[in-house]
Amino acid sequence: MAEELVPTWEDVARRYGRKIYNFAYRLTGNPDDAADLVQDVLLRVRKGLAAYTPGSFDGWLWRITRNAFLDGVRRRQRRPTFPLPDDDRNLAVASPSPDEVLASVRLSEDIQSALLKVPLDFRECVVLCDVVGLTYEEIAEAVEAPVGTVRSRIHRGRRMLRELLTWPV
Amino acid sequence: MARLKHHDDRCADQDLLSAYLDGELRPGELDEVVAHLTDCLDCVAEFHRIKEMRAALRTLPELEMPERLLPSTHPGPELSALLDGELATVEQELVLLHLGECDDCRAEFHELDAARTAVRSLPGLEPPEFLMTRRDAARARHRARWRVVTAAAGAAAAVAIAVGMLGGPAPTSSIDVGQFSDQHNARASLEPGFGVSPVYLSQGEAP
Repeated sequence: MAEELVPTWEDVARRYGRKIYNFAYRLTGNPDDAADLVQDVLLRVRKGLAAYTPGSFDGWLWRITRNAFLDGVRRRQRRPTFPLPDDDRNLAVASPSPDEVLASVRLSEDIQSALLKVPLDFRECVVLCDVVGLTYEEIAEAVEAPVGTVRSRIHRGRRMLRELLTWPV
Repeated sequence: MARLKHHDDRCADQDLLSAYLDGELRPGELDEVVAHLTDCLDCVAEFHRIKEMRAALRTLPELEMPERLLPSTHPGPELSALLDGELATVEQELVLLHLGECDDCRAEFHELDAARTAVRSLPGLEPPEFLMTRRDAARARHRARWRVVTAAAGAAAAVAIAVGMLGGPAPTSSIDVGQFSDQHNARASLEPGFGVSPVYLSQGEAP
């Protein structure tokens, strides 16, 4: 997306909705929370677009997303979340053979469970990097931390995950 | 090189390994990392572990977002939930925004509202006797028995009046038993399954 153009909120929903949904799902392991977050973000985007000045749209959007996520975490503080297996009906990519599907689902579940055990500061940086695909600079803008801090969190987050998982899978 | 040198068998600043994998090294850092990886087995092992973890994270399947979350999707059950005040704040705001822009959904919303109002304005009805609970039915039988006794007493009194044995006013029946019986017989002739006579009901037996 050209940074000079200000998209409409419908554009944002179409282009980023799935990314936001996956971001929230990987952070919470809960499809309902992920859906709630998408709706919350879209409303915030709609309200915020009026005041948005063209610049780093991704940084702006993901800062909103992250703030909405943190607000949601505060609201849900007394409601425990559990890692859920990936719902086959929601899979965007078709996997080749049943064995591979099964192995892949197990791996996904293992990684999802491990993600939920990693402290949020590290988890969000890893998810923004490896699931959403943002650059370190965009992540720094989103989480409002220096790039050096982001770099450290991503690495330490991956190390924690690596230690939580039993390899080889 | 300085930050990747050994310190008591541990390497400082291994963050560089993730940054290297992500193509996020700053100018000058690349040579430092490459040189270090040629002579530090610990960091080579760590590099492979992180590389493996990063690859696994990136193979996580991308999930489809439910289509209902797109603002252009027409709300369905949410319209009724909105009428009933059962939507969460955020969802309610989104549905209202959609209603403001979609004539079709606005029309549907008004139709649902009218239907909901119509259903809610239906009068409350008493259940038919055969649907009453056993206790209610027992009470009804008790009342019916007293009505028969009263009616019989009334009839006897009428006879007594007719023959001039009593001087006082005659007691009257609370219901017209004959009219009730006619109605029952008429309905029984029209509805094959409706054969329970008041006598059976009053005696508590099955037809």
